[in-house]
Amino acid sequence: MSGIDACLSEAMAIPGARGASLVDWTSGLTLGAAGDGPDRDHETAAAETSELARLAFENSAFTRATEDAGPVEDLIVTARGSYHLIRFVETSFDSSVFLYLWLDRAEANLAMARFRLQGLTAGLVLP
Amino acid sequence: MTAATGTATPRRASPESPAPPTAATLVRLADERATGALHGPVGALYLADGAVVHAESPAAPDVGRRLTAGGRLSPETWEEAVSRGGPGYRAGGFLVEHGRLSRGELELCHLSALFDAAYFVLCPLETDRRPPERFLREARHWLGPVRPVPVAAVQREVCRRRELLERAWPCPAVDAAPVVPVPDAARRWGSGAAPACGRRAVLEAADGRRTPVQIARVLGRSAFATLLDVRRLAAQGLIRTPAGPGASGTSPENPDPAVPAKAGAAARQGAGAPEVSLLYRIRDALEAL
Repeated sequence: MSGIDACLSEAMAIPGARGASLVDWTSGLTLGAAGDGPDRDHETAAAETSELARLAFENSAFTRATEDAGPVEDLIVTARGSYHLIRFVETSFDSSVFLYLWLDRAEANLAMARFRLQGLTAGLVLP
Repeated sequence: MTAATGTATPRRASPESPAPPTAATLVRLADERATGALHGPVGALYLADGAVVHAESPAAPDVGRRLTAGGRLSPETWEEAVSRGGPGYRAGGFLVEHGRLSRGELELCHLSALFDAAYFVLCPLETDRRPPERFLREARHWLGPVRPVPVAAVQREVCRRRELLERAWPCPAVDAAPVVPVPDAARRWGSGAAPACGRRAVLEAADGRRTPVQIARVLGRSAFATLLDVRRLAAQGLIRTPAGPGASGTSPENPDPAVPAKAGAAARQGAGAPEVSLLYRIRDALEAL
């Protein structure tokens, strides 16, 4: 895989995917998007999911619970008709980016989607 | 950035501006599908076929600084890409083709640097400087295009960032002044935030002399993100808020200011906006209890 567009198009191939975007959560900036955004708008969703991502990422309540401490890896929000997955991209330089995937709940397999998203974010930054 | 604002009045408060001439020029250049560099003392925006392909500002760490600060690339590897790929305007492509970076890494790092620098080009920290208006046609940057961004997207993002700063803590005086943690900042910070939290990194890098822009450079981190963290730290009462002129004695071009922390602190007790500075001092005192 190479680059943002390839990453997004592979995310859209995950069963049940309705939309995917790569977001810089410092400001809620959409770096790239594919498919639909909730409310037909990627930008609004990016701004709102960024707030959630920052609160989770910066809060130690989620990371100090175990011996093997590390940053938050992903967030899963379930709603009646949909799943929303936020997977943080871990880079070896300073960044604040996550991959966001909006899934149709009736068609998606949450565990599988999460596993695929993990591979996509790792692949995005592998030389 | 040789002097802070005379008062604590927000000086970049209105989200409609960045200097209309530059905004209008950019829209025109986008319509013309122009190629070249809009440049001035505060930095440059590079366009190719009307889209923004690169931005640079003395305030924002560039791609090389970001990749080498945390050890992702060695300085030698970066220099090699600049010297061998630069002459053909494709230093970025060189890194990817030679397996030094993935395409994704280059895109993420470059986009972050582009939007970061564009913010400081269109919203200069220095009150006496204007965004650039001179356009040098056909100028290209040695990094080469990575992922072009529409002019409108850059302008939207600049406005959003300005609003984020204002929402976090409407006090632009902290943007240019040395970041001085309050005496018990470390204790009050406690274990409430994850180690990955940007505010913690900023607080740890604040030695009482470095400005936010200098902290960003030390950390190889987005200058805007650092500014936002500094505003949030100010809102939390964890750093001092400068109140008078002379609070900022340094410029982003000078990474190692000779201004001792005590002199800066003394300057901050100076004249200017007495009501506001008094309020800040009262707040600081209350929060220090």
